[in-house]
Amino acid sequence: MTVLKTSMRNFFAHKGRMALSAVAVMLSVAFVCGTLVFTDTMNTTFDKLFSTTAPDVTVSPKGAKSDGSTPQNGVPESMPASVLAQAQQAQGVKSAEGAVSSMNVTVVDSDNDNMGSSTGAPTIAGNWTRNDLRSMEITSGHAPRGPTEVMVDADTADKHDLKLGDELRTIAQTGDIKARIVGIATFKVTNPGAAVVYFDTATAQRELLGATGRFTQLNVTAEGGVSDAQLKQNVSNTLTATGVFKVQTQKEFSDESREGIGEFMNVIKYAMLGFAGIAFLVGIFLIINTFSMLVAQRTREIGLMRAIGSSRKQVNRSVLLEALLLGFVGSVLGVGAGVGIAVGLMKLMSMAGMNLSTDDLTIKTATPVIGLILGIVVTVLAAYLPARRAGKVSPMAALRDAGTPADGKAGVVRGLIGLALTGAGGYALFLAATADKAKDGSLVLAAGIVLSLIGFVIIGPLLAGGVVRVLSAVLLRGFGPVGRLAERNALRNPRRTGATGAALMIGLALVACLSVVGSSMVASATSELDASVGADFIVQGNQRFVPQAEQAMRNSPDLAHVTRYKEVEVTLTPPGGKAEKTELTAADPTYASDLRRVTTSGTLTAAYGKDAMSVGSGYAKEHGVKVGDTMTVAFKGGSTAKLKVAAITDDDVAIDKGSQYLSIATMERYLPADRIPPSDLLFGKAEKGKEAEAYAALKKALDPYPQYQVRDQTDYKQELKDQIGQLLNMVYGLLALAIVVAVLGVVNTLALSVVERTREIGLMRAIGLSRRQLRRMIRLESVVIALFGALLGLGLGMGWGATAQQLLALEGLKVLEIPWMTIGGVFAGSAFVGLFAALVPAFRAGRMNVLNAIATD
Amino acid sequence: MTSAVTITRHGGTGGRTAVAARARQVVKAYGSGETRVVALDHVDVDIARGQFTAIMGPSGSGKSTLMHCLAGLDTVTSGQIHLDDTEITGLKDKKLTQLRRDRVGFIFQAFNLLPTLSALENITLPMDIAGRKPDKGWLAQVVETVGLKDRLKHRPNQLSGGQQQRVAVARALAARPEIIFGDEPTGNLDSRAGAEVLGFLRRSVDELGQTIVMVTHDPVAASYADRVLYLADGRIVDEMFRPTADSVLDRMKDFDARGRTS
Repeated sequence: MTVLKTSMRNFFAHKGRMALSAVAVMLSVAFVCGTLVFTDTMNTTFDKLFSTTAPDVTVSPKGAKSDGSTPQNGVPESMPASVLAQAQQAQGVKSAEGAVSSMNVTVVDSDNDNMGSSTGAPTIAGNWTRNDLRSMEITSGHAPRGPTEVMVDADTADKHDLKLGDELRTIAQTGDIKARIVGIATFKVTNPGAAVVYFDTATAQRELLGATGRFTQLNVTAEGGVSDAQLKQNVSNTLTATGVFKVQTQKEFSDESREGIGEFMNVIKYAMLGFAGIAFLVGIFLIINTFSMLVAQRTREIGLMRAIGSSRKQVNRSVLLEALLLGFVGSVLGVGAGVGIAVGLMKLMSMAGMNLSTDDLTIKTATPVIGLILGIVVTVLAAYLPARRAGKVSPMAALRDAGTPADGKAGVVRGLIGLALTGAGGYALFLAATADKAKDGSLVLAAGIVLSLIGFVIIGPLLAGGVVRVLSAVLLRGFGPVGRLAERNALRNPRRTGATGAALMIGLALVACLSVVGSSMVASATSELDASVGADFIVQGNQRFVPQAEQAMRNSPDLAHVTRYKEVEVTLTPPGGKAEKTELTAADPTYASDLRRVTTSGTLTAAYGKDAMSVGSGYAKEHGVKVGDTMTVAFKGGSTAKLKVAAITDDDVAIDKGSQYLSIATMERYLPADRIPPSDLLFGKAEKGKEAEAYAALKKALDPYPQYQVRDQTDYKQELKDQIGQLLNMVYGLLALAIVVAVLGVVNTLALSVVERTREIGLMRAIGLSRRQLRRMIRLESVVIALFGALLGLGLGMGWGATAQQLLALEGLKVLEIPWMTIGGVFAGSAFVGLFAALVPAFRAGRMNVLNAIATD
Repeated sequence: MTSAVTITRHGGTGGRTAVAARARQVVKAYGSGETRVVALDHVDVDIARGQFTAIMGPSGSGKSTLMHCLAGLDTVTSGQIHLDDTEITGLKDKKLTQLRRDRVGFIFQAFNLLPTLSALENITLPMDIAGRKPDKGWLAQVVETVGLKDRLKHRPNQLSGGQQQRVAVARALAARPEIIFGDEPTGNLDSRAGAEVLGFLRRSVDELGQTIVMVTHDPVAASYADRVLYLADGRIVDEMFRPTADSVLDRMKDFDARGRTS
């Protein structure tokens, strides 16, 4: 009981000093809980959406994909209307209706602006059915009633200011549909972002499927008292004679729809939890430091407790109890803040165009439980070492002159362990850099990163001495005695400086590593593009090419040639080998000049000859395929061909690595016309000297098709750079959390150091150190600590990044580029971080009353 | 009500006045109303230049407060304090800091030195802070006087308590301040080390013409002074010139007895 009382008293006596640690725990817990609440809310939203949109029983063609994606010819799988008639005969069916929907569409307004979501949510075109009335209601106008009428969902209408009477053009594989808006339907549940347009059934069938009397799905409603499972059984039985169909209950259908989203959500969830983990890791340093300092400051007090009869265990336990209290307070606040973060994320997503409603906010019981347990366990574990040290304080400590607590000397054992780990990490990184196979190397790389990180954390205090001296010699020279005092202060407790710097090191190491990899990616891609791409223009988009867009490009002036690039599903069998499902690249022969691939044998142009193909060097080696061998290629939905290998392409590239080429003409011999896949990419080559005119004309020609982007090589490279830059920025944003926690650590260390050095500060003030000099001294100490962390982190991170590049060189990441601007910026930024962290501690030190400072025990 | 004003003329101080520090009607009170505690009650005092003054008195008599006020470490509630001819009451922190740095030296009872600096660095610290170059010859002389020549590179934790206090004395002397204040400078030392330190202080007065004010409750320490001021209840109640340990002790016993009977 006494133990608890002392802990409580100590905790509240030092609430100011505990505050920063509590904030660190809070931030980490908040991030974890926020992630959980956010992803759970997303799941709830999709659950609601899918369960309200799914009818009691759904009948789909056998090959239909659950994610709604279209087969390789770009037209959804469908079934004849006769199936509907039969399904209606099944027992327990109240009603059945045929639905048509396609996701392989783009909807544009009269200004050719894309109405689709910018967040990757699909655009769906279909017929308006009674089933849709379960999840939507027509809030303005009426349902579409003819080939020129379309209805749009209210979210899309709002976002793009669409009104009744506006014209929408729906671009489908089978043609463009121009129609005026006659109705607007509003979702009764949250629609996260899909843009939906409705036609009447006949128009939908004709325009989306290119056929009449066919449906992509049947919606079957049960009579009262008939369960979904029963109805599914009845419908299946009725349809067995007709053919094989996919019959699903409402639950099965929505579960399957959700699966794809679920995977995506899990990726988001685990990525964010990973960053929360990093923040926790950094927070651990902060907590260890806080408790170490508290224990050091309290050495005398603890000695007294021991002298009057407290056992080691009691002292130990009292510190752990304080940690428990800290963990609890931090976690409770964190759980609350987590909900706030989730709501903030939802707001952020809706700004980005993804609708999420706070009505769906889902806080599972597990969320606060996980948050509390995680926060408390991590805090107590982190406090374990300092608590043990407290237990070891001898009763003699009570009698000794307290003065300043003994400076923590970094031990020899510690140094040896740290060096061993760093050495092992370095060796692993070396192995990874020289690995022959990217796959083998990646594990070694991971091991190297982890080992070298732990090693650096352990030897940090040892390095602190040297690094701080060097930094001070360079940076603090101009600050005279104040600089020297700052240097000595940063050096006086290397363990503390080491741990504080290490916290910053972790975040910055990751930043440095990723920035090296990112800029190497850009540099490598750029150099490869320069070396191998002969095409002037690259056209790509998020919908495969509709024939009308392809034609528009062909009609564009000043183009020497247009190359189509298609992917076709086949089953490939090498001579004497095993059959394997794969995709081949079918392209026009001009592709050989648009992308100049190096061949290890044969010539690339020959691969585009009749009944010829090429294979990649990796494949050739694995299956012992040589030029002149005959491959058996079974085209999906077509016939089987015997193709002669005319070239083997070198796989030591990043673009089109492993692609196996054949000409479109060859493919067409074995696939029926309606099974020919649409183009994935189009390439263009300008007439000599007319590049600028051709580029402008091509852009104009594809203006009505905003889903495709035309880029010349310069723009393409820029786009690549921008995309990687955006990705990196996102990751940096998430790493900012860890860095914020690390900065809190610097603030904490300084604040506690200032308290600890109250008498020293008083003495210095008494003998004439001005407030300004005192503040500067603390700021400089902070800057040195921050730069120490930055130097270690950036060095380590660049090492990781360079190793990763060496390893990924096998995957085409050939050029190592160190982004010195970023690295330099981060280093300079760290100095500012140091200044910033010292603001409050320096202010408080300046405010200290000289007399009180001298009188402090 | 009693204010022992003594003006001691001391030759050989050139154009300077003979009074190094002067307090007039100084009141220092804490709190207000019922809880008001008066630490200094209209104190008038002159500290003679080139002399060694000891301030004595029982705990809570206000002796430390008086020293802190004279040294510009603490502010007064009312009254005036002059250091030489500068009035320090009412000065802003910046000016006070400069004044302490350039014109005053300190020796505290304990924790006089910065643990991160060597003995020599501690000695020159006030000048370093001020951005002044120490006078090499003077520094050597001071170091020689306090007998620290072979200890200059040591950190404070490598020095004995007596050595640490000698470093503090050297620091106070090195900057040639107008006045040195000592707050029980020998309070933490055994009698031998204490005698050593007091001996240095005495010599610096005699040989270097230094002005020193020292707070102490040790009659032996007080006996090194030229003059002893007695404080009780925030007032100067008595003074004694050329004291000996015995006479100081007798005087204190006297006060003690009076305090008990009243």
